[in-house]
Amino acid sequence: MSDTFTDQRFDVARLAIPDWLLKVEGLGKVYGPFDDAVINSTGSGPETAKSPLNGSIVAAWDVSFEVAPGEALGIVGESGSGKTTVLRCLAGDVTPSTGAATIRLGGSDLNMFAADAAERRRLRVDTVSVVYQDPSEGLKMNVTAGGNIAEPLTAAGWRNFAKIRMRASDLLSRTEVPLNRMDDLVRAFSGGMRQRVQIAKALANSPSVVLFDEPTTGLDASVAAGVLDLIRSLLEENRIAAVVVSHDFSVIEMLTSRCLVMHHGRIVESALTDQLLEDPHHSYTQRLVAAARS
Amino acid sequence: MALSDLIDHRESSELLDEFAKREIRRATLAAVAIPGYQVPFGSREMPVARGWGSGGLQITLAVVHDDDTVKVIDQGDDDGVNAVNLRRLVTSSTGADESSIASEATLTQSRHRIPEDGLDETSILVLQVPVPEPLRGVERDMRELARMHAEADYSRMWVSLYEDKVRNGVITQTTGYPCLVNGRYVVATTPIPRWDIPRLHNAPFLTLFGAGREKRIYAIPPYTMVEPLTFEDVPFEVENSDGACCALCGKSESFLVSLPNSTTWLCSDTDWCARQRPAT
Amino acid sequence: MRRDPVLDVRKLCKSFILHAVSGRTVVAFDDVSFSVSAGEHVALAGMSGAGKSSLLKSIYRTYRPSSGEVWLQIHAGDYVNMCALSDIEVATIRGHEIGYVSQFLRSEPRRGALDIVIKSARQRGMNEADARDAAATALQRVGIEERLWDVYTSVLSGGEKQRVNLAAGTVHPPRLLLLDEPLSALDPENRERALVLISSLSHRGVAVVSIFHDLEAIQRLATRVLVLERGHLVAERRPDELDERLTAAAR
Repeated sequence: MSDTFTDQRFDVARLAIPDWLLKVEGLGKVYGPFDDAVINSTGSGPETAKSPLNGSIVAAWDVSFEVAPGEALGIVGESGSGKTTVLRCLAGDVTPSTGAATIRLGGSDLNMFAADAAERRRLRVDTVSVVYQDPSEGLKMNVTAGGNIAEPLTAAGWRNFAKIRMRASDLLSRTEVPLNRMDDLVRAFSGGMRQRVQIAKALANSPSVVLFDEPTTGLDASVAAGVLDLIRSLLEENRIAAVVVSHDFSVIEMLTSRCLVMHHGRIVESALTDQLLEDPHHSYTQRLVAAARS
Repeated sequence: MALSDLIDHRESSELLDEFAKREIRRATLAAVAIPGYQVPFGSREMPVARGWGSGGLQITLAVVHDDDTVKVIDQGDDDGVNAVNLRRLVTSSTGADESSIASEATLTQSRHRIPEDGLDETSILVLQVPVPEPLRGVERDMRELARMHAEADYSRMWVSLYEDKVRNGVITQTTGYPCLVNGRYVVATTPIPRWDIPRLHNAPFLTLFGAGREKRIYAIPPYTMVEPLTFEDVPFEVENSDGACCALCGKSESFLVSLPNSTTWLCSDTDWCARQRPAT
Repeated sequence: MRRDPVLDVRKLCKSFILHAVSGRTVVAFDDVSFSVSAGEHVALAGMSGAGKSSLLKSIYRTYRPSSGEVWLQIHAGDYVNMCALSDIEVATIRGHEIGYVSQFLRSEPRRGALDIVIKSARQRGMNEADARDAAATALQRVGIEERLWDVYTSVLSGGEKQRVNLAAGTVHPPRLLLLDEPLSALDPENRERALVLISSLSHRGVAVVSIFHDLEAIQRLATRVLVLERGHLVAERRPDELDERLTAAAR
């Protein structure tokens, strides 16, 4: 055939393909004692996360992926798949058993898992934000909407009351929370509104990474739709590296360009989101997609 | 030699034994070395009820020498019942002199006020503190409190100041206003009023805080930065009595307190007030 | 053999393994090779089920080919094999270089028409201001009036959705344009507009691979026709050599 081509690897840099901002390598979380045999007794093949050898639960194992700024990566799977474990390890709520999660900021790399608790907390203030399924996990219910947003701002050193108010009201208006509710206690808000406040708070210090854990599960369909639209436009506006965990393919489809499928703690498939939906390879993915389509 | 010759009789009349004094002194030294840090100590039983100055008393007893001159005030008044009791306890068990004039005292123990004048580099001020933890209002868990201080993570405090200002238009805290000491630890300045807070900043005297019930000692060494927590665009304001004057001395430059159910104002610092009036 | 094609497909195969049916294999197409140069319009013809849509999707990489190579020209003289790229590289290149108008009238729910086309233009590398202008032009070109620009596409008619997709696929003309039945829901007037648009793109050097069940469209637009039968490329024809059988039965 044609000999005008070379088989040379294309110079990726020429096409400005963004470099990763978050890189996870070999993340594993096991509850209980484990060794290679225990690990191998669990997973997608054995169809269980709980080892028949000693009852240890391999909640997640050998999870690796990269996310670039401006990219949203989905992690999909049923409950028990390990996707939430992965998110909580990245958030710092759970300590992983093994692996590394590196953030590349301003030219230097930091392995979050090797950082101490104080440093992890500092990262949560302005670098890695989390939006939980349950807004009361990410918000103080007896504090006002504005006050909730003031927390990360003051933690980052903001000391000017007027500026704090202005930033909080900007964020609330961006997340479509009526400004006349800024001084209401979050407890008085509906579920969808609470979620919007949580998102506003997560964006307060312009983080580089935002983790979403089932962001719309539990919300009414129409409310969820609005929140999803909001998240989608926020992700497009800001060059955030996002990880979206969901069991719901419509959420994944809406928000993400790439996606991992997890099953019994392992990644069974990794592809572009449209590939996963139209050309799923792994049997579990095919089942998931078929169920979603029906 | 009889056994009785080996006993120092004078010691037995003291309220604190040498071991207790040593422990309190060590805690106090640690507190002075780490301005604003709450040092735990083994609080002893004192002949004052908890909440009535047992912590301050322990510091005073541990620190005072028989060549000291001690002033004790309660709400600025040397003649309040508690002040009188405490002063008697201290002077009778240590042999120190007493005075109501701040400039003559080398150690002043106080509940609720800093003397208007007279404290200098030779002075020690001991404040009685019921609640030493400034974050008590925003957090209850001991470990979380320890972590917040350790990591200088005071954002919850700032949120409560924000909420206060939003709810009330101003930051309403009156006594015990939280301050940042030496740029590092936030302390509760309880029990002194806002009026006295600016006088802690870069003061020539040493301030020691004792909380007997909560078993904590903390300190502000001389010439230390003390900044009341407030937003940079919300100035820290002291109490003002709208131009009122003291009914006794006629002055308005000191901290005034009003009598209940009346429009009469009086100087809180009775000694200062007395010195403003011509000698009678 | 043409020199410097924009697209060079070599021995491309795609089959599906259906685990739910005990791992049964379904072959979409097998051993397909062809190339397309700038300005050429290659139409795929064949009975429904012959593998035409699958072939387009495989070029666009919605389907992951089982074997073979898809060489795409990026910059003058530079080529990439889409089958050898990582996911993020594929995603970037797609946005930049390839326009794809699928036969399904799906568009992002709850998103305005203008927004969709702007997003497409931004992926091609335009800045916000230029993208907005280009999107407006593209929508006008397919006859979508301004009053519909901010309307959620989910409330548009089938034909309107299709035209929005066409606008998104063609705003800031891509190097390679893949069209899967882009006229099926259009009335005669809009169909004509679309034909004019697609034709003009070819004149501007866009390489097009298309599927039409509309013989007239093929004859107007295509420079070559490739005939697929049960997953195999069986013949190459000139557009005027076609007969009705080969464009029979829309899906």
